[in-house]
Amino acid sequence: MKDNDSFNATLAAATCALLGSTVAAPVAAQAEDGGWSFDSTLLYYGESDNRVRDISAAVSTLRDFGDERKLSGTLTADTLTGASASGAIALNRPQTFTSPSGRAVYTTPADEVPLDDTFLDTRFALNASWTQPLARLYTVSAGVGFSTEYDYTHIGANLSLARDFNKRNTTVNAGVAWSQDDVDPVGGRPTALSQMLDVGDNSNKRDGSESKDVLDLLLGFTQVLNRTTVLRVNYSYSDSSGYLNDPYKLLSVVDPVTGDTLARVPIGQGPNGVYLFESRPDARTKQSLYAEVKHSFGAPVMHFSYRYMTDDWGIDSHTGEVRLRWPLGDGYIEPQLRYYTQSAADFYRASLANGTALPRYASADFRLGDFDATTIGVKYGHGTTTGNEWSIRAEYYQQNGSVPGEQIIGNQADREQYPDLSAVIVQFGYRFRL
Amino acid sequence: MNASCAATLTRDSDHWVGRFVAMASPCEVLIDHAPASLAQQVLNTVAAEAWRIERRFSRYRTDSAVHSINANAGTETVVDEECANLLDFAATLTRLSSGAFDITSGVLRKAWTFDGGDRVPAQAQIDVLLESVGWHKVEWRRPLLKLRPGMQIDFGGIGKEYAVDAAANLAAKVAPGLSCLINFGGDVAVRNARQNDEPWRVGIESFMQHGAAERVVKLSRGALATSGDSRRFVLRDGYRYSHILDARTGWPVRNAPHSITVAADTCTQAGTITTLAMLQGENAEQMLRDSGLQYWLQ
Repeated sequence: MKDNDSFNATLAAATCALLGSTVAAPVAAQAEDGGWSFDSTLLYYGESDNRVRDISAAVSTLRDFGDERKLSGTLTADTLTGASASGAIALNRPQTFTSPSGRAVYTTPADEVPLDDTFLDTRFALNASWTQPLARLYTVSAGVGFSTEYDYTHIGANLSLARDFNKRNTTVNAGVAWSQDDVDPVGGRPTALSQMLDVGDNSNKRDGSESKDVLDLLLGFTQVLNRTTVLRVNYSYSDSSGYLNDPYKLLSVVDPVTGDTLARVPIGQGPNGVYLFESRPDARTKQSLYAEVKHSFGAPVMHFSYRYMTDDWGIDSHTGEVRLRWPLGDGYIEPQLRYYTQSAADFYRASLANGTALPRYASADFRLGDFDATTIGVKYGHGTTTGNEWSIRAEYYQQNGSVPGEQIIGNQADREQYPDLSAVIVQFGYRFRL
Repeated sequence: MNASCAATLTRDSDHWVGRFVAMASPCEVLIDHAPASLAQQVLNTVAAEAWRIERRFSRYRTDSAVHSINANAGTETVVDEECANLLDFAATLTRLSSGAFDITSGVLRKAWTFDGGDRVPAQAQIDVLLESVGWHKVEWRRPLLKLRPGMQIDFGGIGKEYAVDAAANLAAKVAPGLSCLINFGGDVAVRNARQNDEPWRVGIESFMQHGAAERVVKLSRGALATSGDSRRFVLRDGYRYSHILDARTGWPVRNAPHSITVAADTCTQAGTITTLAMLQGENAEQMLRDSGLQYWLQ
C-alpha cells in the first residue's frame, strides 16, 4: 500500500458518501473467550483369565482465552489390580516363588503360566500445557507432567514450536520432551541376572530408587491437501537411558536337554526352582515414523494411520488403524480396526539353558517378544441440545505371540510358551462446557 | 412480495428472531427485548429493504436497474442517485485496488466455474472476455453511464454489505435505541447496545466444516463481514484458486486466506476491506494490518 492513512481516509470518505450522513457508533467487537471445556472419561480395561484389570478416570480441561491462547490440563486416576505374567515358563509341577517384597511366597499350579498376582497399584497423573501464538504464523506450546504410583514417579516437560506456511495450508512443527522416571521397587531393586532368593534373604537387592531419563525429539508436518483431506506425517526420535529393567520380571533357568526349570531346595520358604531377574541394556534408542490421512466424504469422516517404529533393541513394529465416523441422528457411530505387530528384542529369551554362557542381557518379558494384536471396536457419540456430547466406546483386544522355534528346548514344546491374551475395553465419555 | 408472509418471526428467550431469504442468502434479524408489534415492524422494514435492494440491483432480475444498464450497453443510460452512489463507490474501490477490483469483471464468470473441481479455462477464452472488462473503458459522468457493447456490471462484493447497512439505518429509524442485529448471509451489522449490555454472539463458519462455528465474535455495536472460499474455489496443480477474480488478469487470486473476517463501524467498510485484502492473495494479512481494523483469518 502506498500510504495507509490516505488509503483508509479515502475508503472511509467513500463509505460515508455511499451510506449518507448516518454514522453508526464505533465498532465494539471481540473474539469470544471460549470459556472452560471439559472432557471426562471413565475407562474399564479387563484382561481375560482375571489378569490385569484397570479402572481409569480422567478429566481434561481446556480453557480457551481467545486469540489462540489455550491452557489445557488432564488429571488421571488409575487403579490396577490383577496379575501379570512374570516371565517364568510353565512347568508340569507347581512352582513356588518369593514375592517381590521378599517376605512371602506364592505358588503357581502345574502347567500354568506363572503370574505375579501381587500386582496392585494406584496411579495419579497430572499434565498441563499452555499454547499461544509467538509471532505471525508461529505457535509455541509448553507443558509439564507429573505422575506418581506406589513404586514409580514421573516428571516431564515439553516444548514445541509450529510454523504455518502456504496460507496456513502447511504446518511444520518441532518439539522436544524430556522426562525423568524414578523407580523404587517393592522389596528393593534386584541385581541383574541374580537368582531369586529365599524369603528374608535380600542380599541381591538394593534399596533406594533408580532413574531413567527419556529425551524425545519430534518433527511433524501437516498438509491440507484440499478442503476434505488432511495429511499429517511425524518423525520421532526417543532416547532412554538409565534403569530400564522391570524389577519384577524373571527368567527360568532350564535343563539344556529336558527344558524343565532346574529344581532348587529352599531353606525355609523360598523358590523351588532357579529363576534369575532380567537384565536389559541401560540405553534404548527408538525411531518412529507416523502418517495419518483424514478425509471427509461430506459428513462421514475416514481416518487412516500407520506407524513404523524401530529401536536398537531389535524391536520393529507396525501399527495400522482405520476409523470411520458415520453420522447417525444427533450423533455418530465410529467403527475402528487396529492391527499391531512387532518382532522380538535381540535379547528376548523364553528361558536360559543351564551350562551355557550367561548372556549380558536377557528378558522373558512377553512385551519384548514376537507378537501381533488386533483391536476391533465401535464408538457411539451423541450430541445434546446444549452442545455437550456423551459417548461410549467398546473394544475387543486379542494378542497372539510366539517364541522362536530355536529357543524351545525339550519338554517346553508340549507346553504353552507364549500365552495368548485378550482384553475388553469399555469407555464412557462426557464432554461439556462451562 | 409481501414482507409479513415470507418473513417469519419467532421468540427466543430474551429476544426475537426474524428470518427470510434475500439475495440468495439466508437472512436473519435478531431484535432485543421489545413488544411483538415493534419486533414485527422492524423485521418487515429490514426484509422490505433487503428485497428492494435485491430488486433494484440484482443482475438476474429483468426489472432491475443493473439489468437495464447491462441491456443498454453501448448506449447512454441515466441512473438514479442511489445507483450513482454505488457506482462512485465502486470506482473508488477500483482506484484503491489499482484495478484488481472492478464491477465490470462479472463477465469472466462465463469462463470460471467455482465448484471445487479442477477445470481451468483456456487463456484464449479469458483474453476474449478481458476485452469487456475494465472500469476505465466505461464512460461515467454522473448521472450518465455508458458501457461498451458486451460489457456488464454487477454489484457483487458491495451490494449485500450495502444492503445490511441500509437496512440497519432503517431499523434504527423505526425503533430508535432498540438493539438489533442484521445478518444477510454472514454480513452483519448491530445497532445499539442491548438492554442487558450483553453483546450479540456471531459465529464464523469454519472453512473445513460447514455449519460448525470456527470462532465466535461478540459484537455490541458495529459490523462484521466475511469473505471466503468455504464453498467456492478451484483446485489445480496444488494451487487453490479462490472465487475472487483479479480483473486485471482474469484469473482468480492465488493463495489467498481461506476466509477473512473484518470488524468495522459499517458492514460496507468491513466488506470492502475483506474483498480488497482477498485480492492481495498472499499479502492479504499485510493489508489487513495496515487497515488498523480487527480481523480474523482462517
